Amino acid sequence: MLETRGVPSVAIGAVRVQMEKTQPPRGLFVPFQLGRPLGEPEDAAFQRRVLRQALALLERTDGPVILEDFPDDPPGWLDTPAWTPPAMPARAAPDSPGAWRTAFAAELAALRPAWVRAGRRFGRTTVGLSGLPDDAWPDLAAHFLAGESPTVHAHDTAALALRFMCDDVKAFYGEAAQADGAAPASRQIDAWFWRQTVAGQLLIALRAAAAASDNNAVRTVGGRFLVPAPWLPA
Amino acid sequence: MARLEDIPQPTRDAVVAVPCPSFDTHPFVSGPPLRQRRVAIVTSAALIRRGDSPFPFGSAEARPIPAGPVGDLLISHVSINFDRSGFQRDANVVFPLDRLREMAADGEIGGVADTHHTVMGSTDPVGMQVAADQIAGQLRQERIDAVLLTPV
Repeated sequence: MLETRGVPSVAIGAVRVQMEKTQPPRGLFVPFQLGRPLGEPEDAAFQRRVLRQALALLERTDGPVILEDFPDDPPGWLDTPAWTPPAMPARAAPDSPGAWRTAFAAELAALRPAWVRAGRRFGRTTVGLSGLPDDAWPDLAAHFLAGESPTVHAHDTAALALRFMCDDVKAFYGEAAQADGAAPASRQIDAWFWRQTVAGQLLIALRAAAAASDNNAVRTVGGRFLVPAPWLPA
Repeated sequence: MARLEDIPQPTRDAVVAVPCPSFDTHPFVSGPPLRQRRVAIVTSAALIRRGDSPFPFGSAEARPIPAGPVGDLLISHVSINFDRSGFQRDANVVFPLDRLREMAADGEIGGVADTHHTVMGSTDPVGMQVAADQIAGQLRQERIDAVLLTPV
């Protein structure tokens, strides 16, 4: 769409079949995870290799469609066996909105030091879409679990407040999981979050609560935008 | 990964089945050597600066990203089916502004745009002609002759 408007472009693409269908003027297919078009975080040399190969296509004249493959898997694709998840308090399965609030708040408090270390390590945090401090999340979650559609100052609708709180929860845990030592593969973080944390189970419980909501938007957000399909309960 | 067989189901089937636009023409614009070109990033990650409103669901808008510290950027994309842990560690894995600046400093590219651009990738591209016009207009105004498209 940019080329039609006179601007030369090169696309990085992680799904080869989509690039074959769209036929961009120049495309570099990369065998990387969705969400990591440059391949490897904190690896400037790897990222520059990807950029060099992509940008080099701009000097080619054998168009109108040039598709090339980047040859290497990113090193972070492999699991890190030495990685251990942050320590968390023992817990019983919560059976009421109030019990979820208490268990989630306790887990957040236990993880907070790791999350703070991650912020220092990476120089930033990606928590922030909800506009709410993390100590407000357990209460908001309990309201949704109780079948309410609470209003939140930062967002127009309860559905958006739910969605972005859950994004912030995932970001908080993802950062805490990467605070120390060698980085885990993303699937190690996902398996920990969705199978071993109160927060992962809470998001699954929020999905179930949203399905029973009389608020259409909350039902849609709960069904489609909280829990990735591979981690839904059987 | 993102070799198809590595994407978990049912996301894999959804990725294969996603409708892709086809185009009647194949425009191809060439330019000067890379070391003379100014490069801009256009990303479909729905990036925002901290404190800005997230992209609304289904948004077909384009937003400029003034070149600034990449540490202020958040992903507000609607999809939950891509990895965000890499971006949590290093924004350059989605938005490689630091890398482009290094390449410009080393003379590999001519320069880096003052303004980059973002859209939300899950939106139907058929509805994004206005966004494309807006981005292209700003790119031309800034004399950009190389665009790097990064999806998530």
